[in-house]
Order: sequence, then C-alpha cells, then structure tokens
Amino acid sequence: MSRRRRFELPTKKNSTFTLNITSMTDMFTIMLVFLLQTYSTSEVQIIPENGLRLPQSASMVNPTEAIKLSLSKEALKIDQTKIADVKNADFLPQDLEDKDTNFIKPLFQELDRLAKSESEKDKAFIKEGRILLQADRELPYATLRKVMYTASMAGFPQLKLVTLVGE
Amino acid sequence: MSRRIRKIKIDHNGEFELDLAPLLAVMVKLVPVLLVSSAFVQMMVIESELPQVVNEAIQRQEQQPTPTNISIEVETTGINIVVTVKGQDKVETIPLKNGAYDYDMLHTKLVAVKKAHPDIFKLELHPDGKVPYDEVVKVMDAARQARDTNVKFPVFDTKQGKNVETHYMFPEIVFANMMEG
Repeated sequence: MSRRRRFELPTKKNSTFTLNITSMTDMFTIMLVFLLQTYSTSEVQIIPENGLRLPQSASMVNPTEAIKLSLSKEALKIDQTKIADVKNADFLPQDLEDKDTNFIKPLFQELDRLAKSESEKDKAFIKEGRILLQADRELPYATLRKVMYTASMAGFPQLKLVTLVGE
Repeated sequence: MSRRIRKIKIDHNGEFELDLAPLLAVMVKLVPVLLVSSAFVQMMVIESELPQVVNEAIQRQEQQPTPTNISIEVETTGINIVVTVKGQDKVETIPLKNGAYDYDMLHTKLVAVKKAHPDIFKLELHPDGKVPYDEVVKVMDAARQARDTNVKFPVFDTKQGKNVETHYMFPEIVFANMMEG
C-alpha cells in the first residue's frame, strides 16, 4: 500500500510583501494636527487638582509664575503640600485664629516662611506677592475670603483666580 | 550614412509608490513628545491685562478719585448695583430669575451704567459669604467687558489728545468686603 503524500500549500519562495502604511500616516497626520492645536504656549503649567472643579470664565489671560494655592472641598494646598483641612466647605476651628476667624494660621506661617526664605525671597513673584488660586467652584465666597484675607496679611496681595476656558 | 534615431519610450501610465516610511518615523517620534507637553485642559487667570489707554485711565482715576463709586452687592436673593454719585446712592436690584442669577439683565444694566459714567473703570464687589465662587466669577465676567462687540465706550487717550473707543467696562474689580469681619 502506497502512502499518500501530504498536501502542501504552494508557497512562493523568495517572495516579498510591502506593508501599506498610507492609512497609518493619515492617522498620525490627524493626531499631529490635533496635538499641535492643544499644545500649550503658556509659560506656566498648572496641574489641575484631583476632585477640584474650577469655574469657567471668558478671561483669556495666560497665568504667570506665582505661588500656586489650591482650595478644594477637602484641603488647602500650596503646590502639593497640604496646609489645612477643609470640612463642610470651611476650615477647621483649630486652624483659625480665635480672635479673627478669617485668619488661617498655617497658611500665614507657610507664606511668611516662603517670603523670608533665603532661596525664595529674591524671586520676582515673591517680591510682588503673586498667588495663583485654584478654588472649587462650589465653595462659598466666605471660605475663599479667608484665604484672600490671610494671603494679603502675609504680604501676598496680588491674587489671580485660575479659571477654565469657556463661557 | 543614415542615422537612426532611437526613440526613448516613456511609460506615462507607470505607477510608483512613495516611500512614506521616513515620514511615519518622524511622526511616531513627534506624537509622544506632543502628547506629553499638550494641555488638554486650558486654564487662564482672571486678571486685567488692558490696553495702555485703559490702564492710564485707571491710574488717573486712582490718582484723582471721582465722587462716583459703582459697586455690586451679590446677595443670595439677587444682585444690587449701587451707583453712588456725590454721596447719593442709586440702587438697582436684579432679582433671581427661575431661582438663578440673571446675568443677561446684570450685563445690560452694567452697560447702561457704563454709558452714563464712561470715566469709571473700577468696580467694587461685595459678594455675600454664602454665594458660591462660581457665581462670583460669572458676575465678574458680566462686568469686565461688553459682550456685544459693537458696544464701545469712549476713553481719553492723552497721547493722541482725543477720545478713543474700548469695549472694556469695569476691568478693575476689587473685592471690597475682603477685610470685613
């Protein structure tokens, strides 16, 4: 009995194939245009805080270098360092001055330290007293006023409110 | 001796493939760089970056305080526009509309106030402590400049010695009750 030979697919030896990359180039071109549109030309990059919803405004002024304060429903921070806790849209009583309830003690201490710090005090934004404030849109003005009041008491009267683009 | 001219045959219907590989290589490198440095959320700041003429007018107003003062009181029940001329207060109230602040009405009234007092650029803001920050920002937006590009206000340019036009209304907004207890 003779064995049948296994069927083999006819293969072309020495054949080459070319990958069609036209559609891939199209896709990358679209991506490139989109990314160039969203490319930020601002000199200062602000990283949005987690769980903090900024208000929208028609203002189109780019932020400048300043101390970055963020006030969310949970905490008040300078850059990423927590300064004070926020509970029920207000500061805790132990963080506030007894006689002056608008005065946030830890914020004043930190701003005062930055203003007097040897490495920081020569910076233009410290000299001019500039602050970029990111605050949650739902917080009441009374809470914000405490931050503004304490900042101006610490020698930082130039407060710039960070907003999202759009009306 | 006869010369034979050889005709070079050009194949006009011939196809060739453009080598897109180098272009793709550039894009593959560019896309991650741009992805890292792109700002998907654009953030701006509320600040008055004004034309020179308007800035000068604000400085003049600060040096020579006029007897006129314009302020906005943002209450939980509505918004009051208080115009004080020579000690006399004139209050205009904008009540809530469907439970929300009526920003269109506020803007219309502020345009009328600005037309009546074109030399005033400073506005005092008195928000109530309970008013959300978002509403305060919207009030500031309504007051800063005219939304209708056709609406312009005269401002005196000292260099040209004549009035020029600007769409800024009250770009200098001051939180007047910040130091209050």
